Amino acid sequence: MIIHANVFSYFIALAAALILSLVLRLPLLPDKPMRNSWTISAVFPTAVLSVGFYAMAYELGYHGYLVALITGIITALFAKFILEKVVPRPEGEESHE
Amino acid sequence: MNEILGIILAAIISWFNFVLIDTWMGLPESPGVKGAEIIGRSIQKRGGNLAGGFFQGNIVCSPDASAGTLLASIACFTIGTPEGGLIAAVLVYFGNRLCADPGYAGTTGALSITAIIYLTSFIGFKPEFFIVGMVLAILTIQGLYQTGASRLLGKLAQKMGRYTKIS
Repeated sequence: MIIHANVFSYFIALAAALILSLVLRLPLLPDKPMRNSWTISAVFPTAVLSVGFYAMAYELGYHGYLVALITGIITALFAKFILEKVVPRPEGEESHE
Repeated sequence: MNEILGIILAAIISWFNFVLIDTWMGLPESPGVKGAEIIGRSIQKRGGNLAGGFFQGNIVCSPDASAGTLLASIACFTIGTPEGGLIAAVLVYFGNRLCADPGYAGTTGALSITAIIYLTSFIGFKPEFFIVGMVLAILTIQGLYQTGASRLLGKLAQKMGRYTKIS
C-alpha cells in the first residue's frame, strides 16, 4: 500500500492547531479523569480534528504546506469558539458522570 | 494473503482493539445514556453481568471504539490509508458528541485501527479484511450469546479496574 499524503503537511496542521489552541488558552490536556472529561483541550479534540480536517482538504484536492497551516489555524479557532455551540455537552452531564 | 485466514486474523485483531479500548475508556463503569442502562439491566436479569451489560448497552447507544474501528476500516477501504481513517475519526468524534459521549473511545479506536491497517498492509492485509473482521467481532459480543459475552466483558473490566460501582 502506498501512502501518498505528505506526512509533513499533517505535522504542520497538527503543530499549528496545537500552538494556536495553547495561545488561545485552551488547556493542553482534558481534566482528570480524562475519560469522563468534556473539556475541549489542545490535544483532544483539537489535534485530532486538525489532521482529520487536513485529510478532508487533501481528498478534496487542496494540497500543500500552506493548506495544512490554514487548516490547523481554522481548527484551533473552531475548537475554541464554535465547537461547544455545535455539539454542546449534555445538560447535567457533570453530575451524571 | 489468503482471504479467509486474513479475515479471521483481522477479526481477532479488531476484537482486541475495540474491547480493550472501550474497557480502558470506562464503558463498563456506567451507562452514558438511559438506553444503555436499560440494556445493561435487561442483560443482568437474563443472567448476565451488569458491567458487561453496560458495555454492551453503551456500544449500542453511541459510536464507541467498535463503531470507530468499523468506520475507519470502511473509510480506509473507500478513501485510502491513512486519510480515510483520519476523516473517520473526525466523523466519529462528532457522532459521539451528538450521542452524549465525550468521544475518547470512538476516536482512539478509529485512530488505532488506522495505524493497525497501515502496519498490517505490509504483510498483505487489506482494509476490507478488517471490515468483515469487525462485523464478526461485534457479532461475538452482541449477537451469538449476549449474557455469556457480558460475563466475559465483566471479568475483563474487573481485571482492568473499570468495574461498575453501580449495583
